[in-house]
Amino acid sequence: MLYRIAGQYKTSYEADHALFPVKQDAWLLGAILLLAFVVFPLTANEFAFRALLIPVLIYSLAALGLNILTGYAGQLSLGTGAFMGVGAYACYKLVTIFPELNLLVAIALSGFFSAAVGVAFGLPSLRIKGFYLAIATLAAQFFLVWLFQKWAWLTNYSASVAIHVPNIDMFGITVAGPTAKAITQYYFVLGVVCAVTWLAINITRGRIGRIWKSVRDMDIAAELVGINLMKAKLSAFFVSSYIVGVAGALFVFLWRGAAEANLFDIPLSFRVLFIAIIGGLGSILGNFLGAILIVALPVLLSTVPHALGLPIAPSTVEQLNVMIVGALIVTFLIVEPHGLARFWAVIREKLILWPFPH
Amino acid sequence: MRNLVKSLIVTVALSAPLAAAPGALAQDAVSLPNLSYRTGPFAATGIPLMNGQRDYILMLNERDGGLNGLRLDYEECETGYNTEKGVECYEKTKATGIVTQPWSTGITLQVLPKSNVDKVPILAPGYGFSAMQDGKTFQWAFNPPASYWDGASMILQNISGGDLSSLKGKKIAFLHLDHPYGKEPIPLFEKLAAEHGFSFLPIPVGLTEMQNQSAQWLQIRRERPDFVLMWGWGAMNAGAITEAVKTKYPMNQFIGIWWAALDADLKLVGEQGKGYRAISWSYPNADAPVMQDIKKYVVDAGKSMINQAEGEFDWVFYQRGVLISMMLVEGIKVAQDHFGTKVVNAEQLRWGLENLKFDEARIKELGAEGMIPPFSTSCANHTGHSGAWMLEWDGTKFVKASDLLSADRAPVDELVGIEAKKYAEANAPWPVNEECKL
Repeated sequence: MLYRIAGQYKTSYEADHALFPVKQDAWLLGAILLLAFVVFPLTANEFAFRALLIPVLIYSLAALGLNILTGYAGQLSLGTGAFMGVGAYACYKLVTIFPELNLLVAIALSGFFSAAVGVAFGLPSLRIKGFYLAIATLAAQFFLVWLFQKWAWLTNYSASVAIHVPNIDMFGITVAGPTAKAITQYYFVLGVVCAVTWLAINITRGRIGRIWKSVRDMDIAAELVGINLMKAKLSAFFVSSYIVGVAGALFVFLWRGAAEANLFDIPLSFRVLFIAIIGGLGSILGNFLGAILIVALPVLLSTVPHALGLPIAPSTVEQLNVMIVGALIVTFLIVEPHGLARFWAVIREKLILWPFPH
Repeated sequence: MRNLVKSLIVTVALSAPLAAAPGALAQDAVSLPNLSYRTGPFAATGIPLMNGQRDYILMLNERDGGLNGLRLDYEECETGYNTEKGVECYEKTKATGIVTQPWSTGITLQVLPKSNVDKVPILAPGYGFSAMQDGKTFQWAFNPPASYWDGASMILQNISGGDLSSLKGKKIAFLHLDHPYGKEPIPLFEKLAAEHGFSFLPIPVGLTEMQNQSAQWLQIRRERPDFVLMWGWGAMNAGAITEAVKTKYPMNQFIGIWWAALDADLKLVGEQGKGYRAISWSYPNADAPVMQDIKKYVVDAGKSMINQAEGEFDWVFYQRGVLISMMLVEGIKVAQDHFGTKVVNAEQLRWGLENLKFDEARIKELGAEGMIPPFSTSCANHTGHSGAWMLEWDGTKFVKASDLLSADRAPVDELVGIEAKKYAEANAPWPVNEECKL
């Protein structure tokens, strides 16, 4: 009923390969964008912006970066947190060395630093695969966090050994730093995330995306049909680390406001990896669904007892929260091992047939 | 059956707010949020502190019905010592709370720049950024009664017998958490080492190697330092103390900062930990009137969350938690008296915290005699510099092992000036309190 595709005829190959062969998908996306661009900003308070909307968007972007590498090109990486750190520190140095630089440009440039580092640590992927590659990226994780701690130049020799985001204006509006308004920061992040997502959709659907997928599915076969494995793998590392670096810069500049080195340690990498896996490897939508589950759900759950007036101690709530979210993750993975994106795809298929299942 | 369950749920849901409502309406109240950490890797150190903070405020509500008729609502928001959760809690509590107690150097760093914008005072007693002492620059941040740099200076004075030049040629190892908190005193140590000719050897302990410090202690064994100073937290302290016992490092040359004085950590080694010292601006005194009142109104009434079997009531950390809440409540009281109002807002509390006067008479009035040294804050000085005592582990508990020490002001103040200026410049435009003439 809702998803009736009868009557939507495709008369050309372009129409059949369009981004939205089914009209309802386009409407749904339009509704979500309307929600994100208009409804949320009108209704959300500062807590919702800073604890829910902005972090979900940033984590989605980081997971998207990782998903390109792991989900599309099949190269397992455990160094996401460190690559985010490279983006953040690069952005900090750019902003402090060139104070008149536009923040958008600084963030776009800082992605290149993490892309370069990502490619360097991606070189072992030419020789090793799977778990062995994961160990090599784990080395990147340890090395880079160590570097952030030891190299005082990165933090401009700050006594607290941490980055502090200064107030940064863009076209007369403060977008980063303590005086920035949450709504401005939200729009900034939303804009960047939308742009990068649009780019990622196009890359993964096009020639390069297909090359990555063929390498993921069977690299020997891909090589035999004439795909240059080195180029394919390193380009995946490049694009992935670029997006992850941009996410890292947003993470610190548009959300946290300050960061110390161990923020970028393994727990962050795992968190992003979990988002990608639970959302669904090899999908774009999954990253957003995964981020909602892992980042937003605990925040929402922790407000439930208070809203209901239940007298539960906050530490107990926290423990319950961990249990509930953990149970949900396990449940989702049992029900649909391919992640939430796949879950949605199944629902959508059922909706198309509904109410006549045959 | 189903209907019965349904109606039960509805009744409970409806009656819960109703039952709570009359109490809330009958009295004026302020919300005092605390970003607690009763979970996570640092929970062992957090729980006694949080319990102390909570019980003092509960006691005031029970004994005096609040503060001059103002009910004090102590509210915890659990962070697990995680900065991300900390920011979330800050956003959640800043609208209603009149204070932020960040409880971690990482969270302090995040909320410090926002304090000027949101206008909520940050109370970080004995932790946070040492340069917060400069009240003109850090208008909204308070770290009474002593900063880490004060602590570092006092430890050096104590081990040198009051004359730092006697340390010439000695070797001092600095075992610290590799984290902003642990690195905080390094600039001061380096400066003093250069001035007084002792060699200073920082030995970092990563967050992941807190429980296993064999590499660090191997280095200590090889270097044979004359003293090991420790800036540890959570699981790191227990790890260091057991490792020191294992490597037979002389305990009387091993000295910790006030956060490395958890009774439970030393109970692990008991007799073998004898001689271990820690500098502390608080001293547990279970016989003090305030502690007796807490015992009477909260602990014996079964309202406390402390672990009585372990004797938590006598711990340094539990009683320090009490003192922390005492400073906060005193700030509210000073503001009440000054502004002639009952319900204090965040801005007025800031004034109150800036004008704390813990002199001998007032400490006695509060019933905390001998638990905290006298100090007072001002608009230029947000720390107060109470001084501190050296506590020594006698095998079963901590005892006072020195007279009241006080920090060498000149080198500390110089460093505070430099760092505060640097911070303000890096975060320009940073408002400075021009009205303060002190």
